[in-house]
Amino acid sequence: MTTGGWIFMLVSVGFVVSLVTYCYYRVLTAPKEIVEPPDALGM
Amino acid sequence: MTTSKQQWGSRVGVILAVSGSAVGLGNFLRFPGQAAANGGGSFMIPYFIALLCLGIPIGWAEWTMGRYGGRKGLHSAPAVLGVIGRGPIARYLGTAGVLIPLVVYFYYVLVESWCLAYFWQYLRGGLGIDTAAPIADQAAASTSFYYDFIGYEFDGVMFGGGLHESVVFWAITFTINVFFVYRGLSKGIESFCRWAMPLMALCALFVLVRVLTLGTPDPTQPEQNVVNGLGAMWNPDLEALARPQTWLAAAGQIFFSLSVGFGVIINYSSYLRRKDDVVLSGLTASSTNELFEVGFGGLITIPAAFIFLGASGAIAAAQAGSFGLGFQTLPVVFAHMPAGNLIGGIWFLMLFLAAITSSLSMLQPVMAFFEESLGVGRKVSTTVVTLIGLAGSLFVIWFSKGSAALGTLDFWVGTLLIYVLAGVQIICFGWVFGVDRGLKEAHQGAQMRIPRIFRFIIKYVAPLYLIVIFIGFCWKDLPGAVRGILESESAVPMYSLLLILAVATLIVVVTAIGARRWHAAGYDLDGLRLPEDEQPESVPPTARREGARA
Repeated sequence: MTTGGWIFMLVSVGFVVSLVTYCYYRVLTAPKEIVEPPDALGM
Repeated sequence: MTTSKQQWGSRVGVILAVSGSAVGLGNFLRFPGQAAANGGGSFMIPYFIALLCLGIPIGWAEWTMGRYGGRKGLHSAPAVLGVIGRGPIARYLGTAGVLIPLVVYFYYVLVESWCLAYFWQYLRGGLGIDTAAPIADQAAASTSFYYDFIGYEFDGVMFGGGLHESVVFWAITFTINVFFVYRGLSKGIESFCRWAMPLMALCALFVLVRVLTLGTPDPTQPEQNVVNGLGAMWNPDLEALARPQTWLAAAGQIFFSLSVGFGVIINYSSYLRRKDDVVLSGLTASSTNELFEVGFGGLITIPAAFIFLGASGAIAAAQAGSFGLGFQTLPVVFAHMPAGNLIGGIWFLMLFLAAITSSLSMLQPVMAFFEESLGVGRKVSTTVVTLIGLAGSLFVIWFSKGSAALGTLDFWVGTLLIYVLAGVQIICFGWVFGVDRGLKEAHQGAQMRIPRIFRFIIKYVAPLYLIVIFIGFCWKDLPGAVRGILESESAVPMYSLLLILAVATLIVVVTAIGARRWHAAGYDLDGLRLPEDEQPESVPPTARREGARA
């Protein structure tokens, strides 16, 4: 495997692993949605 | 009018369902062949450019359009595109968003059943390939098993002389699909994807670790080792970047891999609420697909083929096409691999899971279409879609010789029509609905902002990119496909086209019926009004509704 091969492989795989990690981190650490109670007072 | 009561159970659930739709056989079988045959590592330059300029922006557009249509009470591609594209032209072009998943399902469920059958075969001890024989004989044995199994030599062979084994696996696979889709979005598709996707990742990780720890299995051939196997896949050939074919292949791979232009994402996202995020969710689903494609697909198949079959075997594997690599070359590789039957079984289980999460996503938009257009319930739509699916799939099974029916349906609907639908979608979103309005809509409830550069990409780059690759595709492949129909001794390609035409006619007629019903029920079918939850607060909801129907 050439140096170029290593570079392309590591950068490509590293990019997709970083991207998916970042995305799932953002999704899973997002604040839980607060369900608004019915507006009983009409306010 | 029957209104849909379907909804997603959780945000992760919908992300996994969309990811499951995107991750399919192409991630593991098509991508490595395309990359290795088009410049190795350097293929990734046009590949990532296409991801940024085509895959991710069209995906965001689909997520946004679907959610917008859902807020107006519409869930099928024709109805949603009619709203976004403001009129009947977009609505009828949107029928492709039903035709594509339905017709692709005809053959995809069959290929899916092959994966299940191969998994079962490995549990029973493998394909019986004699590793002491010359490699050519092993490849011939593998090919013979595959051809016999799928009835490649003769039409109708799978129904001749009793029930063919492949038909049994097809029936099982078909039933599983119908069962989960009938259970609905949350209890069926989402529940299934919530455990199938992690299991698929585990299977892929297991096979990947096995391949990367193979070392040099045959000491008499020290050059056939893991590092050189990775080199066979990743060593860059920078001259390939000067060839248009490389750019076409990369764009095509991104395009088909992400399931954009398929009609699925529009339907799935139509069940989201106004404040549900679509930007981060869309990016997460795309990145999940990329993980399976680049992270697993790019490290497993070609290196494994190189390690056991040598450089010539790896080249042959890259050129064998998806089915050739998956069902003919890899069984030879597994036969040589330590614990090969176990690895082969896990590999085909993974392929089966990848395929079924995709096929489930093909049925759901079609069922939603019939429910919405005809005002029928889940039971009736399931029955209708099952009957059409059975007829179409049996057609593909019967005309199995040379995979003629499968190949024809895949070319005209599973490839060409996807370009058309994606083009319609991005033009409706960027030009008719308006890119600024579209991005504003996308940012409702979004957890991240779409970078400003994507305004330019969505409006100009993506449509132009699509047109260029579509012209390139037509230039390269269309004449051969037309000749294949006109000059073929077999009538099967023509029958296949007639089948497509019949299904398309049915969908257009049902759309026309649906349009009349939607108009009569007061739906804003041509996208002329703001959604109810965006109209001025001063107008009472009842007045808005009455005004809408006036």
